Amino acid sequence: MNKPPSWTSREESLLLLNAYLDNELDAASVLDVERRIGSDATLKAELARLVDLRNALSSHVGKERASEALCRRIAAIAEVPRIGATPEPSVRPRRFDWRQLAAAAALAAVLASAGTYVGLQQSASTNEIAEIVAGHQRALLATAPFDIASSDRHTVKPWFDGKLAVSPQVIDLADAGFPLVGGRVDVVEGKPVPAIVYRRRQHVISLIAIPEPGSKDGGEPLAHATRDGYSLLSWPGRDFKYSAVSDLAENELEEFTARWRSGATAN
Amino acid sequence: MDARQRFGEVVLPHLDDALSLARWLTGSVTDAEDVVQEACVRAFSAIATAKSNPRAWLLAIVRNTAFTWLAKNRPKSVIVTDDEALFEKAGLEMIDRSHEATPEAVLIAKVDSEQLHRAIAALPLAYREALVLREIEGLSYQEISSVMSIPIGTVMSRLARARNLLIQRIGMAGRGKAGAA
Repeated sequence: MNKPPSWTSREESLLLLNAYLDNELDAASVLDVERRIGSDATLKAELARLVDLRNALSSHVGKERASEALCRRIAAIAEVPRIGATPEPSVRPRRFDWRQLAAAAALAAVLASAGTYVGLQQSASTNEIAEIVAGHQRALLATAPFDIASSDRHTVKPWFDGKLAVSPQVIDLADAGFPLVGGRVDVVEGKPVPAIVYRRRQHVISLIAIPEPGSKDGGEPLAHATRDGYSLLSWPGRDFKYSAVSDLAENELEEFTARWRSGATAN
Repeated sequence: MDARQRFGEVVLPHLDDALSLARWLTGSVTDAEDVVQEACVRAFSAIATAKSNPRAWLLAIVRNTAFTWLAKNRPKSVIVTDDEALFEKAGLEMIDRSHEATPEAVLIAKVDSEQLHRAIAALPLAYREALVLREIEGLSYQEISSVMSIPIGTVMSRLARARNLLIQRIGMAGRGKAGAA
């Protein structure tokens, strides 16, 4: 093949440009790409076209919605009771297999005898994670992932106040590409808690605020968890512990939390 | 956890994603519904193998089901080639040509929905699926790599080429329109 002398680096630049657009580069490569864009007008024009294309795709090509009939047919495959038609109790009674109980007891005994209790501490938060993710999943299956639809934080915040007598911080991130779409009430550990709903392209982000009086954001690192393909990032905020859950790629969810936290601290 | 409950948690929340992928692979919503149903039957029987990322797991099943469906119903649309090098070379040449002509860039911002849908539908299958997985499903490169069973480097080049082809096609269609007017 006949390659112009700069071919390899040009080809590489294009791939990097796409990965840059997709937020898939590490910090060092981002700097490198930004340097290249700065010094190369062709690359700059290329990036502008890619951004235009992305905007056109997100405004003209949406996700398909599975029809009621299709959902029924699919649910029938496993004869799964339909979720949404009749609201399920939020906290399902757990049934324990005696073997699991026996295994757990044996494990606890081993841990106790070894003098390590560390692993056992986990169960409460694992349960919390499961409930937060389940709440998000239920919301996705419902007609709308929110009970109140509004892109105005001055509508969402008082709604929580009226409904739950608590008001978590509601930050407007529309400029950063995470528009606010509404709010709903989830149940975590038996208590109703506010869930603020944002969108990123076709993805829904639920931000669960669990009241924790006196807590504040001291810049602690995020706590990461994944469950059933959903990422969950948690951090302490003003009087609440916040957890963002979504099926977004984790780096994008991190971008969301970073912007949200800096917005919250500035507020 | 029993299989039914697992199916309810792992498969049902991702039906819109499954349908969207199948729609762009088969070309129509009606065909996509058949593919999704077939894929969900497969998913249910393989539910025990569901991975920690069920959405990517389900999309991989949908993709494979769609390919079987295409091979049977649209045999000409599936280019089955082991010659990846030939395929990639065609892509490289497309990129090479692109940087001489850029004046149609303005047209991208003004593209209408129908034009864009036609341009996506006209992409070669391997490029189209990478594009759909990224732009419509919002998967990460890592997830696309696992759904399509290709290395991340190939994900990168297919995406770059898919977008480049789209930009070219939109530019050409826009130019045609302008000439006719």
